[in-house]
Amino acid sequence: MVPVSIQVRQALSKLVLPVLLLMSVGIIIAGQADRPLADKARMRVADVLAPLWSLLSRTQTDSERLVHGLKEARNLAEENHRLSAENANLRRWYEVAVSLARENDTLKTELHWVPEPTPAFVTGRVVADSGGIYARAVLLVAGTSSGVQTGNIALAANGLAGRVTEVGAHAARILLINDIASRLPVELESSHAAAIMAGDNSPLPRLLYYSQDTRPIEGERVVTSDQAGAFPSGIPIGNVHYLHPGQPVVQPFARLDRLTMLRVFDFGQSEIEPPEAPGHVPLTRPHRALTLPFKTLLGPGQEG
Amino acid sequence: MPDPHPPRWEHDTETQLTSRQRLDRTARHLLPSVFTALVIIFFSAPVNIPGSAELLPAIVINTVFFWSVWRPSGMPSLAVFLLGLFMDLVGFTPLGVSAFILLLVHGIGSYARFGLMRMNFLVVWCLFGLVGAAAAALQWALACLFRLHLLDPAPAFFEALLCIGVYPLLSATFSWFLHILDEKDTP
Repeated sequence: MVPVSIQVRQALSKLVLPVLLLMSVGIIIAGQADRPLADKARMRVADVLAPLWSLLSRTQTDSERLVHGLKEARNLAEENHRLSAENANLRRWYEVAVSLARENDTLKTELHWVPEPTPAFVTGRVVADSGGIYARAVLLVAGTSSGVQTGNIALAANGLAGRVTEVGAHAARILLINDIASRLPVELESSHAAAIMAGDNSPLPRLLYYSQDTRPIEGERVVTSDQAGAFPSGIPIGNVHYLHPGQPVVQPFARLDRLTMLRVFDFGQSEIEPPEAPGHVPLTRPHRALTLPFKTLLGPGQEG
Repeated sequence: MPDPHPPRWEHDTETQLTSRQRLDRTARHLLPSVFTALVIIFFSAPVNIPGSAELLPAIVINTVFFWSVWRPSGMPSLAVFLLGLFMDLVGFTPLGVSAFILLLVHGIGSYARFGLMRMNFLVVWCLFGLVGAAAAALQWALACLFRLHLLDPAPAFFEALLCIGVYPLLSATFSWFLHILDEKDTP
């Protein structure tokens, strides 16, 4: 240390504050002039502090979880009581269900019921929203290698989403039910009346060609119908809603604008070939034309 | 290996003792700065404490002011400068602004300390309220200046109010702490 007199030391200590103030002003100006440098310095400090911060935030989440657990524990008895009551109720329903299933089985045996095949399905992630020639179509990461075929049916979590129109080795394009090219035979659930659901690229596909004496009722469920042979009957699609009087649309159960996962079902519908009926003259080729999804896109002579 | 003769040995223990004392004193002097640095790290962490963005400058201004008035050796100008710079680097204020403001607060506190120490607590609180409000206003004005855009003054108000409101609590804590340190110092 350089020996300095007390007076000089006091003078120096008085100078420290103004010098530091000037330095901070200088830093302000330098930081404004050279922003990338300031940002770099910030990032370096943040890098050093990041482990500490993560420790802090983990501690906080842990303590929050602890507090939450304690709160839960407080009404544990009440919850337990409620759950046991519910469990007793459900157990009763279970008994009812078992007896009903048994009864159903006996009745089916009595009637020599032919069991329906259980459909096979694969689940894939929706990766792209691009449609090729369609406006409303998605691409699914599941292709022929996983057993997806053209004409299979794609279901979202709680309703019909669309049909497989093109399939590659690892991807399949699915035409959604609200595309303008999509026309499906549907059934109104309460009246069992048939109608056609036609997409128009809007979120709500329209209902067409319903019979005039059984009009769709607001809120009625719409399910698929097996009329053309492309769909098995009874897959839920949506609810009837009237935008204007005389213009019923379907509100789909599936959130068609935010699809993330789809299950593709193979109902094996195309394998059901009607037996030859003597005297029955088919107007078109018997089943190929029916499984073709979009008749409307093709001219009358181009089918098959 | 040289034989440790008894006088030299004694001499060694003595220096050891003094160095330990020196270490103790250094730790005592560094304590407010370390506390402030820890507060800055804690409040800049992604913990969702309501109003943490306004609470941090309030606490730091309080700490700097308190120690500048009551124990300037615990809060030297250089420490204030470094703390301010650290706060700027960790937060999103323009670089150097907090350092500037904290140095001003520190300067006011250490300049007026002999007057303030004789005053009633309530008077000191009121005066500190003025300093805190001025600091918040200055911060807001500088932020407006650098963005070249009139910012919403509500957060600055909130910060000033927090600054004033937190003072009694922190002041009591620090006073208690000073008391303990002084008690330790006397024997």
